[in-house]
Amino acid sequence: MTKSNYKLTDKDFHQINMRSLFGFQLGWNYERMQGSGYLYHILPQLRKIYGDNTPELKSMMKTHTQFFNTSNFFNTIITGIDLALEEKQGIDAQETVAGLKAGLMGPFAAIGDSIFGSLVPTIFGALAASMAAQGNPVGIFIWIAAQIAVNVFRWVQLKFAYKEGISLVTTMQDKLNAITDAATIMGVFMVGALVATMVNVKFAIVPQIGGVSLDIQNNLDMIIPRLLPAAVVGAIYWLLGKKGMTSTRAIFIVLVVCVALSAAGVISKM
Amino acid sequence: MILWWQVILLTLYAGYQILDELQIYSSLSAPVAAGFISGIIMGDVKTGLIIGGAMQLTVLGVGTFGGASKIDANSGAVLATAFAVALKMDPQQAIATIAVPVAALMVSLDVLGRFANTFFAHRIDAKVEAEDYKGIQRNFLMGMIPWSFSRMIPVGLALAFGAGVVKEIVKVLNGPLLWLGNGLTVAGAVLPAVGFAILLHYLPVKKHFAYLILGFTFTTLFTTVFGYAQLLGGSIKGFSGVINGLPMLAIALLGLAFAAISYQTGQKIGNAPKAASSNNDEGEIEDDEI
Repeated sequence: MTKSNYKLTDKDFHQINMRSLFGFQLGWNYERMQGSGYLYHILPQLRKIYGDNTPELKSMMKTHTQFFNTSNFFNTIITGIDLALEEKQGIDAQETVAGLKAGLMGPFAAIGDSIFGSLVPTIFGALAASMAAQGNPVGIFIWIAAQIAVNVFRWVQLKFAYKEGISLVTTMQDKLNAITDAATIMGVFMVGALVATMVNVKFAIVPQIGGVSLDIQNNLDMIIPRLLPAAVVGAIYWLLGKKGMTSTRAIFIVLVVCVALSAAGVISKM
Repeated sequence: MILWWQVILLTLYAGYQILDELQIYSSLSAPVAAGFISGIIMGDVKTGLIIGGAMQLTVLGVGTFGGASKIDANSGAVLATAFAVALKMDPQQAIATIAVPVAALMVSLDVLGRFANTFFAHRIDAKVEAEDYKGIQRNFLMGMIPWSFSRMIPVGLALAFGAGVVKEIVKVLNGPLLWLGNGLTVAGAVLPAVGFAILLHYLPVKKHFAYLILGFTFTTLFTTVFGYAQLLGGSIKGFSGVINGLPMLAIALLGLAFAAISYQTGQKIGNAPKAASSNNDEGEIEDDEI
């Protein structure tokens, strides 16, 4: 058989979503990244569409273990579009599906990484961390609530994508761009706020100039409070722009410089 | 000292957190939660929150992009909290002496875990060939083992056997090498700056620099006012009101308002007949970790 008569039910969507939420990346590896995860999360449905022990199923299983890597916050959008095709065309959809997966994984990886991998953790992580610094765990619970909402979004997108098909990608694009832009504004704003509260360092040195002691920190405070933290962040920003600089290296450079300046009595903890 | 059941619970958490991060991302896998949970297990939530919060900020911008390994701030926060509480270390010092080096060292174990999973991927290929459907699923789920063991083994070993070494280090840092101990405390306080700088590289700062200035200026002014008000409130005798520190949620709401304004204006422009050129100048996130 080449055409399948199987129609996906809500039970199938439920099963795919469970496997996606709790198992999609367990097999992540350097060679094919989420390849085996993709096969795993739709395997029961593939078996229903093509039937066990058919050459079609074997061939499709091989297609689905190929290299795949996208944001695990958007992966079921690709799954939904893929399964809608396979359900209609069966094995004839093989090439289309392979192309579709390869074509969509990049864009969704970029959007997903920036919104869910970077911006959401920034905004809620910043909130949770600054509350934690005062000994207050409430921010962690706010973050958990936000992630539950995100997981609801991950859950509903599969059926939505299955129904809308490929046209979904273009309609989503504009909306996602606007949301990303708004979220980056909040992200940038929060970084500004964090620089002002969470980098707790000040000048400790009070040099004597012609018999007059110069309180550097007090003078800086008159310009604007927390100028030194802002300068430190600016300096590290510049450092990170240098060639061959990694975040881990930057962390150790900061460690060494801080110890040196502190030992020399130039800076101290606020 | 760290009790045996604390070692077991912390080790189990170390294994759980990576699976959480890979899958449901409940944020219990975030460094701040790692500090919180370790704090509960160790019986000193405040220390855990301070360490976890600082590590959260240090890695704020370090997301996992395209499967690149990132500095493992979670394991760092777990170990730092455990030792800080058990050996009565200064939390700030524990961040620089334990959490950061551990987090950096753990990167290589993350690489090892991801590498080990290739083995199961090849087993899956064989099972596909054999049409062994159960075998495919079994070998896929076994990927859990390299992932969680790559965290559980080092964290468990360090907790069980590391106390003696850490105790010596603490003694030296507060004795003959006090200058180093103090320096590491300062470094612990400055480290979040690295997280912010990394983040700024990923965000389109040039486009939105006005919001960076707004965020900084609002907060620096308010935090100064609130800080001194708190100080005054505490020192005036007979003053019955309670003055708290600057609530960060309020600052976050300001940011949310700016984001909402931008979103609304953006939608209006998008609906205008002249379909604005939607060229994507968002391309700041181009490649893996810096």
